[in-house]
Amino acid sequence: MNGEVFTIYFAGVDLGSTMTKIVILDEGERAVAAVVKHTGAEHRRLAGQVMQEALKNAGLTSDDIQYIVATGYGRINVPFADRHFTELTCHARGVSKLFPNVRLAIDIGGQDSKVLQIRHGKLLDFVMNDKCAAGTGRFLEILAGMLGLKVEDLGPLSLTAKNKAVLASPCTVFIQQEVALHLSNGIAIEEIVAGLHDIIAGKVAKMAKRLKVEPDVVFTGGVARNIGVVKALEENLGCKILVPEEPLLSGASGAALIGKEIVLKAMASGEILPRIERRFEDAKFFT
Amino acid sequence: MVKQALQGMAKVSAINQDRAQRVLELQQAGKKIFGYLCIYPILEMLTAFDIVPFRLFGDINEPVTKANNFLPTVVCPFLRSYLDLGLKGRYSFLDGLITSHICDVGAGVPAIWNYAIKTPYTYHIDTPHTMRESAQAYHRKLMDSLQASLEEYTGRKLEPAKLVDAIKKHNQQRSLVRALYDLKKPDPPLISGAETILMIKAVQSLPVDEGNNLLCEVIAEVKARKNGPVKKAGRLMIWGSILDNSALVEMIESLDANVVMDDTCVGSRPYFDDVKITKNPLDGLAGHYLNHIKCPRTFISDYFAQQKDHITDLKRRYGYLGDYARDWHVNGVVMEALKYCDTHGYEVPSVKDYFTEIGLPSIYLEHDYTLGMMSPLKTRVQGFLEIIA
Repeated sequence: MNGEVFTIYFAGVDLGSTMTKIVILDEGERAVAAVVKHTGAEHRRLAGQVMQEALKNAGLTSDDIQYIVATGYGRINVPFADRHFTELTCHARGVSKLFPNVRLAIDIGGQDSKVLQIRHGKLLDFVMNDKCAAGTGRFLEILAGMLGLKVEDLGPLSLTAKNKAVLASPCTVFIQQEVALHLSNGIAIEEIVAGLHDIIAGKVAKMAKRLKVEPDVVFTGGVARNIGVVKALEENLGCKILVPEEPLLSGASGAALIGKEIVLKAMASGEILPRIERRFEDAKFFT
Repeated sequence: MVKQALQGMAKVSAINQDRAQRVLELQQAGKKIFGYLCIYPILEMLTAFDIVPFRLFGDINEPVTKANNFLPTVVCPFLRSYLDLGLKGRYSFLDGLITSHICDVGAGVPAIWNYAIKTPYTYHIDTPHTMRESAQAYHRKLMDSLQASLEEYTGRKLEPAKLVDAIKKHNQQRSLVRALYDLKKPDPPLISGAETILMIKAVQSLPVDEGNNLLCEVIAEVKARKNGPVKKAGRLMIWGSILDNSALVEMIESLDANVVMDDTCVGSRPYFDDVKITKNPLDGLAGHYLNHIKCPRTFISDYFAQQKDHITDLKRRYGYLGDYARDWHVNGVVMEALKYCDTHGYEVPSVKDYFTEIGLPSIYLEHDYTLGMMSPLKTRVQGFLEIIA
């Protein structure tokens, strides 16, 4: 063992309502594994299996992980995590790592949307949507299904639109009537999709304007992969929007970074952090 | 009778399991039981007439069904729940009901109640919403009207000495509640925010003397116990609309925070000022209920103030909240309002401005009187605590 160099690793587990994301960072903050899986009922129970896949991808064992931070709506369902933080704090940390000058971060996930005001890497204030699905990824999933499209095709398709269909209701249920009406009136599908993007962007922009909109503005979450929503947000906010290469991973990355900070702080103060046994077993459902 | 043998917090817990049990026993023994809504009915007058006041609440665990026939879904969910319980017979034992003009919906519900529920005696106090001179005079006249109505109902004249005695008993209750709140000043507090709500609900389910005895028991017990709340990073104050169940506070206290102070109506709001005993006791009662209960349903203002800038106005209206924050060592505020509670909702920007002015971080939560709301709210509160940590 003499002369062997040990590297310590930190994991962030972002158990979102739609997707589970795990990032493992080494002490130099380089990602050695990143796994994204559908959450669903089973994956919420089986976050441990996703963790094991991430360890396997990185060629690590559970003993190599110094600290695990869980985040996301399912954060309490990660029994092998040392601590859990809200996705608000973790997203702010993760986004700040990628974009040090970020002052506003917008995250649109599967079933919620949030706007974070950030200064010097710290969360200053935030706004979240209420429990309505309007302005979330679920809104787009439902409407894509109604239009017979794949979610990933919505963005490129909307860019081909010459006009935007005017849609009034941000409600996921009522807007389906409006879409049906537009279809029966012969409005082009791409124009309807552009209108849907504008509805989402308008709702989130209203939330953002409750805080202070100033660059850099960064957009994360699954919906940030939709170029149509990115463009619509830029129009609604009147500024350029930055999107990370992997917009789904900012929460998990932030969680791992917070884990590293906790460990470094403890080391600096001589505090011995309690070491929990890493058993990647099923969480009890919703406990 | 089981509850008679219980003491302190065990008794509080038992009362909250079945709030009406004690008043039903008293009713069988010949007492009249009057329900009251909100904190503006004049409890001292009921006590003076030997009537037991019993505060009426909604039930977050009971889905609203029957009230849908009378109230739209876009009004106060607490009042919808309260009416629903009435329509389902939960309050059918009441001999009387006293309501007041708490808000527009709150003023309309008594009429629906009279139409659909038919409690034997009802009285609605048209409490004014300002503190202007004309409002003071009008509110004073309402005291005479209430007295006359109760005299007619009971067939007895109100003896001023009995009213003074009742005021003293209720002032003693106010003093005891303040003593209970003093136990929340240390770090950690000796009693949790959730326990406080249950305590207040228990007191509001009992005759004043029994409530006072219970308060004495609980204060003594809490001072002596070793298993109270633990020290946490957050020492929060809650400001806002009615919390007639402890779910929201329990959720907050499941995180790294203790709720050490509140400005809510199932909390400190009815208890932090005494009724002055005036030559004619009705004068003191009229002044107290209009001027000294600091709920947004009454617009607090100095109508003759020379200086009327925003910050001065905020300090005039909410300075007491700053005093609470200082005395209870508060490091964050949760402002909460029920969905469609315009009374509190419209007040939020000003109250938030005040907390910003005094450098106290705050978060605003809107909730819809369902337990399902707790999970998303928990993320907001935890995020807030992570910011102020």
